[in-house]
Amino acid sequence: MEISDENFRVWAEKNEVFFDGVFRLAGPDAYAPIYSLISGLLHEGHKQVTFNLTGLEFLNSSGINLLAKLTIEARKMGDLLLVVKGTNQHPWQAKSLPNLKKLHPLLDLRLA
Amino acid sequence: MDGGLPKKPIGLASFRAKFILVVGGAVLFDLLVSGGLALWNVQRLSRDATLEVGQGLEAASQEYIRTYADSTAAQVNLLLKQVHNDVDTLAGVLQAQIDNPVRNSDVGAAIARTSPDSVSLSYDEKGKWSQNAPGSASVVSVWGYLLGQDHQPKPDIERDIQTSAVLDLVAPSLLQHGASKLQMYYIGPRERPIFRTAPYTDQAQTFDRLYPGHNEADFWNFFFPGLYESWQGWAKDAKTRPVADDITQTAPYTDAITGKLIVSFFHPLWTADRQDVAGTAGADITLDQLAETVENVKVAQSGFGFLAMSDGNVVAINSTGEKTLGLRAASGASGTGVTGLERSLKGSSQPAIAQLALDREQGIQHLLLQRDGDEVPYILTVKKLPATNLWSSGPVRQEAMLLGLVVPEREIDASLYAAQAKISEATNRIVIYQIIAILMSLLIVAIAVFAASKRITSGISALAGAAKRIQAQDYSVRVAITSKDEVGAAGEAFNRMAEQISYHTENLEQLVEERTAQIEDQKEEISALNAQLERENRRLGTELAVAERIQLMVLPLQQELEEFQDIEIAAYMRPAEEVGGDYYDVLKNGRRLKIGIGDVTGHGLESGVLMLMVQSVARALQEAGNTDAVKFLANLNSALFKNIVRTKIDKHLTLAFLDYDGKELILSGQHEEVVIIRSNGEIQRIDTMDLGIPIGLEADISAFIKTREIAFEKGDLILLHTDGVTEAENDAGELFGIERLCSEALRLKGQSADKVVSGIVATLMRFIGSQKIYDDITLLAVRHR
Repeated sequence: MEISDENFRVWAEKNEVFFDGVFRLAGPDAYAPIYSLISGLLHEGHKQVTFNLTGLEFLNSSGINLLAKLTIEARKMGDLLLVVKGTNQHPWQAKSLPNLKKLHPLLDLRLA
Repeated sequence: MDGGLPKKPIGLASFRAKFILVVGGAVLFDLLVSGGLALWNVQRLSRDATLEVGQGLEAASQEYIRTYADSTAAQVNLLLKQVHNDVDTLAGVLQAQIDNPVRNSDVGAAIARTSPDSVSLSYDEKGKWSQNAPGSASVVSVWGYLLGQDHQPKPDIERDIQTSAVLDLVAPSLLQHGASKLQMYYIGPRERPIFRTAPYTDQAQTFDRLYPGHNEADFWNFFFPGLYESWQGWAKDAKTRPVADDITQTAPYTDAITGKLIVSFFHPLWTADRQDVAGTAGADITLDQLAETVENVKVAQSGFGFLAMSDGNVVAINSTGEKTLGLRAASGASGTGVTGLERSLKGSSQPAIAQLALDREQGIQHLLLQRDGDEVPYILTVKKLPATNLWSSGPVRQEAMLLGLVVPEREIDASLYAAQAKISEATNRIVIYQIIAILMSLLIVAIAVFAASKRITSGISALAGAAKRIQAQDYSVRVAITSKDEVGAAGEAFNRMAEQISYHTENLEQLVEERTAQIEDQKEEISALNAQLERENRRLGTELAVAERIQLMVLPLQQELEEFQDIEIAAYMRPAEEVGGDYYDVLKNGRRLKIGIGDVTGHGLESGVLMLMVQSVARALQEAGNTDAVKFLANLNSALFKNIVRTKIDKHLTLAFLDYDGKELILSGQHEEVVIIRSNGEIQRIDTMDLGIPIGLEADISAFIKTREIAFEKGDLILLHTDGVTEAENDAGELFGIERLCSEALRLKGQSADKVVSGIVATLMRFIGSQKIYDDITLLAVRHR
């Protein structure tokens, strides 16, 4: 499962979702396929799902909205541990990812 | 297999022709080389065999001729030896009588008594000689000059007539046995040369006819001049004999009695004291006897022998030989003595014969003899017989007769020629068989190659033919797969391709129709899509226009920003190409001032509407006198969240507010960093992450909202911005960033809020250059006067 563009690429390997590149999609509609992809993975029955954002250089506000919604989705599934791997190399991640922790306190945010 | 393929002659350029040429050429080369070698070897074998056989046969032939000559010479010798023996015997008897006179006269008297016919002579008036009457075993002739007046022999003659009658006892038996002799005889000594001969013949009569005048002449001188004297010489000295033998042979002459050519062999008789000649014993043989032996020589078909005297006079030869050697007979012309025969090799009409060296044996000689105008090669060998004493005329001399054998080379070499012909014939036969074998092999190989080539190349030629038919647009063609090799694989591939071509060709029109219909459908679809797109574009355009209008509509008017006494507020907003959702507001309620800045995710009408809602709710809450910043945001979120759920606007926004009552400045809500440039040039950046959470994500966010009081003194400058400022990219992809924003603000801090905003925006725009503006850019400057 993979969604990609000349600037970005999203794919899933088992229970880990990888984000790569620069995401400047226009809005929720444009992000809808990505939402479906990851939402489907969340409901596959894994005990843990990881969002690997270390390759995600930039995510616009609509993309952050996507992550927020997915976090709320995961929070609703009580027994699912959501791990978010980020990096401090990209400033937006340090700025935006803590919000996910606010939305889902049990979320395992790993900023390296 | 190739079905309707027309039979084509094999072109020179065809694969099959090349195959045939290569294989056929190789076989032809091989056959020609092996055949040529075989032929060459056969020819060489033939040549060697011919040479070997030739040499062998020639040697054999020459050996044969030599042997034949030896054997013939031996025969001649034997014949002569026998005659010699007979003469010796006769002479021995007579000599014994002479040596014993008493017994001689007794024997003579006894014979006279018992055979009076042998000693009773009667005078012949006509011939004037006396001779006994027929009926006796021998004839005795007494020549006239030996008779007395009374025609009676003188007494000593009479005694000799009686004693010589002993011949009657010996000669008949000698004539019957031993060599074939014409006659044997006794001739008395010079003083009484009576002539007694056995058997009885008309001896004197014949002499009269052949030798007229002999009756009056001295016998020995008349017939054999010189002979008697020679013998007398021998009596005195035996060493004067030319050959150590008493026998003396005469040259051939015509016999006076029989008229035949004869040779006489004399054995002289000696007086008892051996001091003088006492007559002779003799025997004649016809030349026929010698000639028979010589003429019986038969070498090859026309080979012949000849017997010649040492002077070249040929005494025996057959008529063919005589002709071949070109001999010319000269009849004896002498009136006295025996009549000789002159037929000399030296007088031959054949130069090669005339020049023959007769004095020595030369083994095998090759001669060219004229025959019917042609030169014909002959082989000649000459052999000398043992020497003998010969009287021809005059003194006795030594004579060695020559035996010659003459054979045409062609005949003696006939076997050689036959062998050579056989070899040649065999060679030719082998050559012909070889050539036939080569031709047969070529034929068989040609047929085999032709057949094999058909098998081997038929697949390729079928493919080629089928391909040509495809080229001629006959797509029904298929090739039969007969082999499992590469050709077979090519055939299978060809058939599949042909099938596809056939299918596509046959269905081309249908396909074109289908494709046309598809294109028509697609065209309609595209038209519909185009129309839809056009409508959509129009709608979006309208929507964008509406959104932009909403966005710009709800922004505070310039005069609202300018109506404050102690603070200056300047704002800049530039929507991105597609209108986003940046929000800023300045709400005034009495002395209270609320400055808000936010950023709705996404763009378009929904963002605009959401922003409008935010503005409206904020205004309402402000108007309702809500002074608690936390509650204000919580309520605003609550209202927005519910509206978001209802409108299914899948968006949220960051939102922060500055509350100012003239003294205190309170910051609340989560948004971009707030930058404060103090009048002393100090820069303060305030992170708002802990002051809230995005609006619209959760129903209740009151737990997340915090406030922070910010000192705000005269000269201080507060900058509010959306991420459109810090995340603006230049051509190199660099972001404008918060540091650049701060340094720009610092650079412009002494100036009015308007100048600060316009200065920063100018720098920002230069930074962006021709790069696309991705997001709305909003910048607010709040300056304490």
